[in-house]
Amino acid sequence: MTHHEIEPRHHFDDELDEIRASLVDLGTMVLANIRWAGEVVVENRLDEVDAVVEADAPINEKYQELEEKVFHILALQQPVASDLRFLVVASRILYEMERSGDLAVNIVNSLERIHGIPADTTLQSSLDRLSAASATMFARGIEAIATMDPEIGLHAEAEDEETDNLTSDLFTAVTARQDELGLEASVALFYMGRFFERIADHGVNIAQNITFAVTAQFPEDY
Amino acid sequence: MTDRIETHLGTTEEGQMAQEQANTSTTASDVAATSAEDSDAVRTSGGDPDDLNPVIIELENVNVYYDDFHAVSDVSLPIREREITAFIGPSGCGKSTVLRCLNRMNDLIESARVEGGVNYHGVDLYGPNIDPVEVRRRIGMVFQKPNPFPKSIYDNVAFGPKIAGYKGNMDDLVEQSLDRAALWDEVKDKLDESAYALSGGQQQRLCIARAIATSPDVVLMDEPASALDPIATLRIEELMYELKAEYTIIIVTHNMQQAGRVSDRTAFFSVDIQDDGERTGRLVEFSETATLFTTPEKQETEDYITGRFG
Repeated sequence: MTHHEIEPRHHFDDELDEIRASLVDLGTMVLANIRWAGEVVVENRLDEVDAVVEADAPINEKYQELEEKVFHILALQQPVASDLRFLVVASRILYEMERSGDLAVNIVNSLERIHGIPADTTLQSSLDRLSAASATMFARGIEAIATMDPEIGLHAEAEDEETDNLTSDLFTAVTARQDELGLEASVALFYMGRFFERIADHGVNIAQNITFAVTAQFPEDY
Repeated sequence: MTDRIETHLGTTEEGQMAQEQANTSTTASDVAATSAEDSDAVRTSGGDPDDLNPVIIELENVNVYYDDFHAVSDVSLPIREREITAFIGPSGCGKSTVLRCLNRMNDLIESARVEGGVNYHGVDLYGPNIDPVEVRRRIGMVFQKPNPFPKSIYDNVAFGPKIAGYKGNMDDLVEQSLDRAALWDEVKDKLDESAYALSGGQQQRLCIARAIATSPDVVLMDEPASALDPIATLRIEELMYELKAEYTIIIVTHNMQQAGRVSDRTAFFSVDIQDDGERTGRLVEFSETATLFTTPEKQETEDYITGRFG
């Protein structure tokens, strides 16, 4: 017969671990859709727009399920100290993830509205780099959750400068071509740039929230 | 057949029939709950009916009197198998009285009278052929204050099975019971020592081991942690969570947070004060615990759990 001892709050710890694992899962789903949206835009894959939009539904479903779970744990388990910080942060992170998923949808919808991006090497390579940088920043957020490493959040804002610069580059390229692009396409491209930049910001916020959960202090640039 | 709770529960086959009967009544009440427009009924059922555990004890319009004093009025609620059900409410609301009805502990108070139905696996526990001793073997109890017998740790656990005529290997049963109560490792080298030498938290786990040694399927707990320090309390709660894989647990607690932490469903009782000063307890709301503590249906429940009343 194997014997066991009892650890206080073992079941609660399991619940917290489960929340953390689920946050990583949800983040991975969102990340996959962000990357997909990037490819669809850069390669003008208009026939895949609907599929990207549809892929957001399971994200929203999982978001709601997790939000409810966190809400119930807050109500029933009376978390304090690091447990409380983690759960409050988990709720914020869920919001950041859900918003990021919506932004991926906004991006492909913008592409569809202008019936694809004009064949232009500069524009396409600018979008390619921006979408990749944006996905990388979002992935940093997920990495922070998976490792609970507070250092990632401390450097996230500085790391995000690349996305900001690439967004400016895109804006410059669009401005230089506004006559040939026309108003509608120019505006749509500005929006896409802005959406990718926002996704990266959400990645930064996620990492910074993890810093708070672990250290009880937000990074100075939060 | 005095060692039988009732003759027809004696054989496996017939026990199963009673179980099926209990399942049938579950289905019937679920149907009633989901089809009724009355939101009370819907709330009481809680969750997807297909996912619900079967009802093991059904209280039907239970009233408890002590002579002329009406202590508890008209309580109806289902207790589901392998769940933890919590009873909460202010002092005098009748939560402990109702708990004691479930294994006929009120029989020990001469003036007490229970009316209504307390059906266990579909059998009325207050029926004419019921042996209360057998009821208490199947529906065990753990009290507020740890109350081990003035005997060795071993004998505390072996006592119940011995008087019930247990024929198996007693050493194994003692070890198994102590292990299920997560106490074995702490006491295995001192089984012959007095139970009084243990700490309060250990004594309470010993009482849980004693309660489960007679193979009950329901364990009643009356404020099982209120005499313990916070960590010992959390240990008991963790133990309850483990035990519900095999047992149905009903806990009375003054500590609402404890109900939130451990239970699947919560019954909130309150007390009405009559003109002549008589205080009668009644059931206000019975819901899934997560629902009761996030969106209680009754304002009275909200006022109590938020600490505004009671």
